[in-house]
Amino acid sequence: MIFKNYYFIPLALYVLSYAVLYFKKDNPYKSFIFFIYSAFIIQSAIIFIGLDKYHFTMIIPIDLMIFLNSWILMLIIILFELLYKAKYIVIYATPLVIAGLLISYFAPSADITAILRVDSWLLIAHIVLILAGDSLFTLAFILSLIYIFQERKLKLKKNLKIVNNSNNKSSNTKAGLFNLRKNFNYFNLGNGYNLELLDNMNYQCLKLGFPALTAGIVIGIYLSSALFKSMSSVKPIEIISFITWLIYAFLLHERVAKGLRGNKAALLSIAGFIMILLAVGFSFYLFPEFHGFK
Amino acid sequence: MEIIITGLNHKSSDIFHREEVSKKILTKELRSKFIFDIKQLFNEEIGKQLIQESAIISTCNRAEFIFAVSGSSNNSNKNTDYAIIIKNIILRYLFGNNFENEELQSMFYIYKNFEAVRHFFIVTSSLDSMIIGEPQILGQIKESYNEACEFKNTGLILNKLFHKAFYCAKRVRTETKIAAAPVSISYAAVELAKKIFNDISNKKVLLLGTGEMGKIAAKHFIKQGVSEIFITNRTKEKAVKLAEELDGYDSKTIIDFNEYYKILTVADIVLCSTGAETYVIKYEDIQPIIKMRKQKPIFLIDISVPRNIDPEINKISNVYLFDIDDIGKIIENNLDVRQQEADFAEKITEEEAKDFMDWKNSLNAVPIIVNLRSKVNDILFTELRKYINNKDENIEAIANSITNKILHEPITKIKRSEIDFNGLNLMEAVKILFDLDLNIGSVSKENKETKKEILNCGDYSNDSSDSNNNNEKNDYYNNKIIQLNNKKS
Repeated sequence: MIFKNYYFIPLALYVLSYAVLYFKKDNPYKSFIFFIYSAFIIQSAIIFIGLDKYHFTMIIPIDLMIFLNSWILMLIIILFELLYKAKYIVIYATPLVIAGLLISYFAPSADITAILRVDSWLLIAHIVLILAGDSLFTLAFILSLIYIFQERKLKLKKNLKIVNNSNNKSSNTKAGLFNLRKNFNYFNLGNGYNLELLDNMNYQCLKLGFPALTAGIVIGIYLSSALFKSMSSVKPIEIISFITWLIYAFLLHERVAKGLRGNKAALLSIAGFIMILLAVGFSFYLFPEFHGFK
Repeated sequence: MEIIITGLNHKSSDIFHREEVSKKILTKELRSKFIFDIKQLFNEEIGKQLIQESAIISTCNRAEFIFAVSGSSNNSNKNTDYAIIIKNIILRYLFGNNFENEELQSMFYIYKNFEAVRHFFIVTSSLDSMIIGEPQILGQIKESYNEACEFKNTGLILNKLFHKAFYCAKRVRTETKIAAAPVSISYAAVELAKKIFNDISNKKVLLLGTGEMGKIAAKHFIKQGVSEIFITNRTKEKAVKLAEELDGYDSKTIIDFNEYYKILTVADIVLCSTGAETYVIKYEDIQPIIKMRKQKPIFLIDISVPRNIDPEINKISNVYLFDIDDIGKIIENNLDVRQQEADFAEKITEEEAKDFMDWKNSLNAVPIIVNLRSKVNDILFTELRKYINNKDENIEAIANSITNKILHEPITKIKRSEIDFNGLNLMEAVKILFDLDLNIGSVSKENKETKKEILNCGDYSNDSSDSNNNNEKNDYYNNKIIQLNNKKS
């Protein structure tokens, strides 16, 4: 059996957890989170086996790299959920993990041999820091979207639910989309679904993600120069990484110095995330040669 | 006698028009003048003093005018229908010559007699409120009633109507679960605050004005454990009084009304319910404040009508403004359970309205009963004096007692003739049989006491238990009416 086929197990469990929201009428959270945690444990086991296969050198195929990225993202999501007791984070952010798993399945799985000469701990640090930074910004992006959505509802004063009618026994609707909507409301009405916490979590993502990204980029530049023996040539990945870094640096500065928060901060977070997507695209698919994979 | 209700509420009109009306009847003096002017204009139009009783219900969500008009109008003719005449007079008074505007005409509803009574009971029972089942409306109507009594605008009909409405509201609250679900403006305000702030316990509240709704909302926020509350009012004494009301809560500060904007830099939640006619918090006031707050979000709740916070403020980033209509709409979308109870409650109001109308209709029989009673009493007294040699007082007592016993059944039947013997006009028959004086106005002053007695003991010595309950209720209200009448006289 090809190793990447195992990626389907957590993928199926994540999808199943959403099916629970569709079908289950009462107390959906327990079942939902059970499937999510089960999937994460299996994903952790797969990533451990996968990295062990390459002796934890991080010189791993792209598919496993994306799989690792999904795992880090899920780890951060679960940590935030436990730390801030905000159940809705899992429900809104897991689709990105599912997307990551799908991409990892279709990504090339050829072994990389070109950068074997690089010091392994620096490469591990570079990859882990960049992936952690990216994952934190991904979560910040999701949180920003929720923030903008929720703020819009508050400003327009439309579809604001203040009473949870999910326990209303008189409801005759049986299952399906009604359950899904009701269950989403259940999460949205739970603790922590408020603008202040969303903004605060966004800020935490920035505070943790920015140093990780900065360190990751610095190590990356060092590795790049060591690998190609030329500091002078500027590659597109470096330009995009620098622009991304600038956006987040500006955002962090504005937040610390001027107290920027709310809508504008969320929009900047989204802009930063788009730059990350571009950087990832450049790194892996569009111009792999610029990252030194070829 | 016709009962007429006209006015507008949150369902029939928007907040702008309600503001307009509210401004014209904002103070006690304005309301007193309003009633005086309407009566005068009506007299000029009709040529007779027909408005006997009147009251104004003015809350944030409604302005309703209740009238008891003598006689009955011609419903088919627009020019002689008292309800339409009154409505047009009020519209002209409030909006000038623009009163024929179709939009305005449709905003102002009219209810007459049974419909009016039922509508009034529905309002008092909080079934027509923006938040079904909210308790404030009853207090507001009681205040309106007190004011109408103070102006000496109420009489037999409206006194009974108001007391019956209070009784009906009490029945609705005890017999249905309308008030069980915790949905009110204050509850909604707290829930909305929870959508903005993560932890309300470290938030500061500024209470601007000491309006009833603001006061209740402030108490609700205190229950949620807010860290501090600032109270300010133009009349400082009222702020002090409110602070005293919040007895068990220590973190309260009274601030000068001219300095409230300084608190806007630290307060997270602002409850505004002043009686001001214009905006107290303006767009240009908030813009620099939000910068001073370093973009910290601020939640403004404007519970006043006319509004005291410029609605444009909501456009500023990190400022969230909700006025009474916004909160009302949100609540309306969240009230499935209460709606079911409201259907049951409406049946109670209908029942009570019918009961009231029966009473009101029975009033038509009063002059006949008074005359009949007087005639029988006189005959008995004269005849008894011929044969019994005793003091006049004793003879009178015996005559009264026999009159009561003989006439109890016929009087009850006459009073209920319009309900129990639909179409059979017992009153006319009695008039002919006993050759009674047909002129209603001919009830002499001496007979007025008898009239009160009849109103008081209409169902005297009824044996059935069901009727006894009704008697108790009727006696209670009739006694109240007589007490009030005595006070007035």
